[in-house]
Amino acid sequence: MNRAKRAGRWLVERVEDRGVWRHVAIYAASVLLLLLFWEVASVVIRSLKGGREYLPNPIVAIREMVRLGPLLFSNFWISAWRLVLAILIAFVTGYPLGLLVGHERRLDELISPIIYIVYPIPQVAFILILFLIFGIGHPVKVAIVAIALFFQLLVSARGAAKQISLEHITSVLSAGASRWQVYRHVILPATLPSILTSLRVSVGLGMAFLYIAETTGSFDPVRGGLGSFIKNNMYSTGQAFAGIIAMALLGFCLYIIIDVVERIVCRWTYAARRSS
Amino acid sequence: MIALRDVVVDYGRGTRTVRAVDRVTLDVPRGQSVALIGPSGCGKSTLLFAVAGLIRPVAGEIRIADEPVEGPRRDTALILQNAGLLPWKTVWQNANLSLFLGKEYPRTTAGAVLEELGLSDVKNRYPSELSEGMKRRVGIARALSTSPQVMLMDEPLASLDTLTKERIQDLFLKLWARHAFSFVLVTHDIEEAAFLGQRIVVLSARPASVKAVVDNPKMGGLDYREASAFRDVVLRLRTELEREP
Repeated sequence: MNRAKRAGRWLVERVEDRGVWRHVAIYAASVLLLLLFWEVASVVIRSLKGGREYLPNPIVAIREMVRLGPLLFSNFWISAWRLVLAILIAFVTGYPLGLLVGHERRLDELISPIIYIVYPIPQVAFILILFLIFGIGHPVKVAIVAIALFFQLLVSARGAAKQISLEHITSVLSAGASRWQVYRHVILPATLPSILTSLRVSVGLGMAFLYIAETTGSFDPVRGGLGSFIKNNMYSTGQAFAGIIAMALLGFCLYIIIDVVERIVCRWTYAARRSS
Repeated sequence: MIALRDVVVDYGRGTRTVRAVDRVTLDVPRGQSVALIGPSGCGKSTLLFAVAGLIRPVAGEIRIADEPVEGPRRDTALILQNAGLLPWKTVWQNANLSLFLGKEYPRTTAGAVLEELGLSDVKNRYPSELSEGMKRRVGIARALSTSPQVMLMDEPLASLDTLTKERIQDLFLKLWARHAFSFVLVTHDIEEAAFLGQRIVVLSARPASVKAVVDNPKMGGLDYREASAFRDVVLRLRTELEREP
């Protein structure tokens, strides 16, 4: 409770100080720069391809976004919760298991060969089996993404757990820590920064797998998700790019959420940067 | 208070074990101090970890307060080389860690100890925001928080500059007088051993065995570093360390 209160106070302070507004301004400038590149690319492609609109200009795409508002939003929402659910499932299974495998020597010897064999297989190779098991609805889409991210998080949690300084473990053991307390006070907090980095990678990776999952199998214009929306509008490029922008926004929102979470649960890493 | 009888400790696991400590016998009476000094890597830290209950001896017996040591004890505190602070916990959380793990927090807190060590003002900081000397003091605060009977220290002041080191040695001497614990200090610093050890045990190269025991009855005063007895003990220790077995 105390921690939540402190985190809240900290957030309020950050919004009040000028740092946040400076941040927002830089972000806005950066987005404008991206739109400018896009516009230039669009003009160049049009002139090279005899006036054809292969790459729509950003204004067209944004206008399409507004026109398709409700439909796009319902697809955005569906993709968003599929992705978030898949990330959460992968996180609550892959992270603890990775820590166990990384820290418990016996388990490592037994499990690591399995990881090395299974991890490099592109999980989409199992897509048909997954469709047969889960049907064509929501569960299969979530499952495809969750399985891919599970391995990603498992491998990085295992790596992070192996890096933990023995001194920190000795320190809590000498203070009388139980096995569980070693996890709670050392292994979990020590691995959080790298697992959050891995979570950022997972957002991009998860988005790619979600696209594959949503473009395979059934077609549903309202409840298909952004992947399905983009694929179905492939030939009216303005609409397709409206979908692509929506996907970019989804990723952006998730990055921001991870950043905020990191600021709260890994405050000590910011303290270290401040003082150095 | 602490009694070691023919203690043998191996280091490593499986087929790759190395004998780290060979038949060490040692007594530390209640409230007294012993410094263990020896060449780097001789096994003195391993011996200390065995007394702390973190490593089991393969032979011999270690007793604290007339009970065999079977694991970390509530009345024994260990201070590690870099103070063993957890970077993700604040000074307050680090100092209270032992109490927290033992479920004594918040009934008992390290508040008074932090005050005594002049750390109250930095209790909300993280270790990375502290100077090296402050970090070591937080380590001492954590150890003192449980009011231990026995304090074990594994080169607690290594890699500090001389002045900071001496200031903390002085502080430690005062704390020892006030809190009356027994302590074992592992060090490779001859002057530190002579300043803080009532008895100094010189250990051989690995596997560590007792090479000589030097009594140091005049220690205890803050001005002991200037005394001729101090210089004699330092010289004696140097000779013992350099002597071929």
